[in-house]
Amino acid sequence: MPSIRKQTLRGKVAIIGIGMSSVGKVPGKSPLWLAADAAGKALADAGIGKNEIDGVLSSHAFASPFHRFSVAFSEYFGIQPTFSNTLQVSGATAATMFNIGAAAIHSGLAEVVLVVGGDSLLTGLTPDLALRSMTESRDQQYEMPFGIPVANTFAMTAHRHMKDFGTTSEQLAEVAVVQRRHAMRTPGAQQTTPITVDEVLNSGMVTTPYHKLDCSLISDGGAAFILTSAEHAKALGIKNPIYILGGGECYTHEHIFLMPSLTTTGAVESSRRAYDMAGYGPKDMDLAGVYDCFTGTVIMMLEDLGFCPKGEGGRFVEDGQMTYGGQIPSNTHGGLLSFAHSGIPGSLFHFHEVIAQLRGQCGPRQVPDAQLGLVHSLGAGFATNATTILGTENTL
Amino acid sequence: MKKPMPAPDADSAAFWRGMRDGALLLQHCGDCGNVQYYQQAMCRQCGGEDLAHRAASGRGRVHSFSVVHRAPGPAFKADIPYAVLLVDLEEGPRMISTYTGGKPEDVVFDMEVMLVCEKVNDEITLPRFRKA
Repeated sequence: MPSIRKQTLRGKVAIIGIGMSSVGKVPGKSPLWLAADAAGKALADAGIGKNEIDGVLSSHAFASPFHRFSVAFSEYFGIQPTFSNTLQVSGATAATMFNIGAAAIHSGLAEVVLVVGGDSLLTGLTPDLALRSMTESRDQQYEMPFGIPVANTFAMTAHRHMKDFGTTSEQLAEVAVVQRRHAMRTPGAQQTTPITVDEVLNSGMVTTPYHKLDCSLISDGGAAFILTSAEHAKALGIKNPIYILGGGECYTHEHIFLMPSLTTTGAVESSRRAYDMAGYGPKDMDLAGVYDCFTGTVIMMLEDLGFCPKGEGGRFVEDGQMTYGGQIPSNTHGGLLSFAHSGIPGSLFHFHEVIAQLRGQCGPRQVPDAQLGLVHSLGAGFATNATTILGTENTL
Repeated sequence: MKKPMPAPDADSAAFWRGMRDGALLLQHCGDCGNVQYYQQAMCRQCGGEDLAHRAASGRGRVHSFSVVHRAPGPAFKADIPYAVLLVDLEEGPRMISTYTGGKPEDVVFDMEVMLVCEKVNDEITLPRFRKA
């Protein structure tokens, strides 16, 4: 069969505006307000008006009654887009919004796409309801009757990783410690008190092997991004466009018991596809935003995204490789573990951070000369995986 | 607070009827030989619809587990701590369940376990596992 050179969206689409609401505890604000606040800031950052948006992609919100969040958002924000969808592949939704937004622009379905999400899991829901909103995402026939929170599915993957590769609770805890240190330099982060490995291990068991501080936060917050074609970004005179170089996704199962391997995930394939499209590999990345619903998730992802060999993620983290001066500074804002985790929009904060780093706007926590960054979003017990690779103009 | 209960549908009704009768039914594909859990109207491997329900031996081995200390909602608060298991059945398929008949902290990797059919009400019997 002849090899077909596929026309890809590499470098065709630029991110020209980013915005974020206050995060953490933001009482009295609805998910739609949080999304709209972030969208307003993203538009101001791009220097364009809301009527220039012709496409809207959003995640859904647990604390919002709207089924079609993207459509409700447009009404709330006072716009009438000609391209819109509310995407739902759990935690992987963030990267899919960038991939699909870029594809829509590249194909001519839209010219200026707003990627937006907001939720108020901390103050918009009671703690029990917030937890229930997570459990109701599991199958009612074969999973939920046994009392399986989504945390439990991730816990069983980490547990098997410990058994197969000798990963330790201390190594898991180190992820939380490193990310807390990162959050201490991020203005507005929800948790900024330094923690130690011992404190993580003594923070109370949630579901083995995860202690409270191995688990992500529950937060309020929204984030928004303006995407447009590279040509339009130039015409607008955008100073520091960040380009989408590659995207990839992989969906391996729905039920945790049908996950092909508990310790190797669809992130291998989703990132392979993103790297192939971008023409760069893991060694080329200057930083990463790695979905971090739990500490062990990060260790497995550092392996599956190609930053270290399978089974060595624990030692990689212990050796300081996921922070400044290491191989791949990751979650430099603090991630879901320490910055904020407002449900599905939580992984939009990883995008906000990686883009701000690539623009060189991160002050004391700036990764020196960051040119290439990877963001990986995942969800539902590793059922859903999506990767996006971003780069500056120099990387095109 | 009531626990979530399976609502048998077109795909799963036979499975839950089987559980009520004390059998954990697996589907054996007449076309490709694939054995699958859970129940659906076609083989996940070949798409064939010649699926025979056969009772599993009930023997299995713990592939992974996690002991829940913080309940997923009020309905499970009285049960904590409890061990959630991923059990590899002798016939091949893996399934999720919980440990019964012992302390959750007794569960270890690769432990041999045996099916226990636990009647919840007239409609629903849940498959759980004890140490073999």
